[in-house]
Amino acid sequence: MRGLYLAIVRNKDHLLFVLALVFSSFLLLNNDDPRMHVIRGKAIETVAFISSPMTWVKSLMFLEEKNQLLREKNLALSLQVESMLNLQRENDQLLDMLDFKRQTKLILKPARVINKGVQSNLLSIVIDAGERDSIKPNQAVLTPKGVVGKTIVAGETASIVQLITDVNYRLSVRILPSGATGILRWLGKSGGQIREVQKNVEINIGDEVITSGFSDIYPSGLPVGKVVAVNDERGSFQKVINVNSPNDLSAFQFVFVIIDDSYEMD
Amino acid sequence: MKWTDFIFSGLLIWFAQLLLADFLSIGTIRPDFLVILVLYWSIKYGRTIGTISGFLIGLLIDLSGTASYFGLSPLIYSITGYLGGYLMGTYSRINPIYFSISWVAILILQFLIFCVVQYQDIWIINPQLFWAKWFGTTIYTLSFAGILQVIYPLHKIN
Repeated sequence: MRGLYLAIVRNKDHLLFVLALVFSSFLLLNNDDPRMHVIRGKAIETVAFISSPMTWVKSLMFLEEKNQLLREKNLALSLQVESMLNLQRENDQLLDMLDFKRQTKLILKPARVINKGVQSNLLSIVIDAGERDSIKPNQAVLTPKGVVGKTIVAGETASIVQLITDVNYRLSVRILPSGATGILRWLGKSGGQIREVQKNVEINIGDEVITSGFSDIYPSGLPVGKVVAVNDERGSFQKVINVNSPNDLSAFQFVFVIIDDSYEMD
Repeated sequence: MKWTDFIFSGLLIWFAQLLLADFLSIGTIRPDFLVILVLYWSIKYGRTIGTISGFLIGLLIDLSGTASYFGLSPLIYSITGYLGGYLMGTYSRINPIYFSISWVAILILQFLIFCVVQYQDIWIINPQLFWAKWFGTTIYTLSFAGILQVIYPLHKIN
């Protein structure tokens, strides 16, 4: 017995090593034991409490970096939202155009605006339809909301459109419901003005302005705008009517060209 | 050395490991300060202290971390402590180069066992990544051990 005891004492380091290996292996092989999970859970809670100040300091260190990342992400998302809003606007416009084409009896050629110049108040635009698409000079150009101009030059695949905002543009119009006729011209940012309107007709703000049909270019009944002011000056033989356009003439992207007006608007 | 000194220095290095290892990590490779402590203790106090301290420190590490294999750290630290104990008092008797190679080899072996168990899946799927992890972990800890050699050489405690 004493010999065994002495042998253990003499080889205690080896025995301890074997015991450590056995116990470690036992732990390794019992990793899935629920009691082990409980012990480890308690230990982790203690360690989390001890290391919490360091975690706080670490989070402060990375605060600026995180802030920068968030700002970049915010910018990217804002751009994405803006892009999606633009797509939605374009989609709405195309849907309007589809509706308009279904409703009208006119023969229309859709076209995309490919150049608008740099001025916000445009005088002319270039569209991606030309002679190949049966486009000729002096054809009416409109959107579902109303007239925007006429073609003045037709190339093979593109055409130039003179906008109604151009100072040299004149359009014969009719004011509904009175039926009074006049000549529309544009006066820059202040909007359109109809002259040559008889003084004795009753015209109210909000009256609709359409094309009169006294033209080889525009069929009658195309929407042009709405009355926003009526000027009836004493001593004058005519009324002057101010009109606004339903089209945002600096923002539209798609137009129709009337290539055959044998069928007029209802 | 009193047992309180063991506890005090052990807890100090454990804290350092707990709080600083993340700061000093390179990718997923983190330095292991506790294995260096076990190695120092085993070379200074022998196999018995080395094995016991290795086992207890390993247990502490596994309890304080999210070890995938609970019990692996006591195993490898016990081996380091036990093998390191063989180097006690050998510096004056053997070639210093052999002495250095020995403790480096002990650390390499300990990380090899650790990686074989911890990254056994990677070993099968991507052996190159496995060797890279083993090499990276070993070299990183060895570099800290090397820095410590300048400040407090192992042969001085021997």
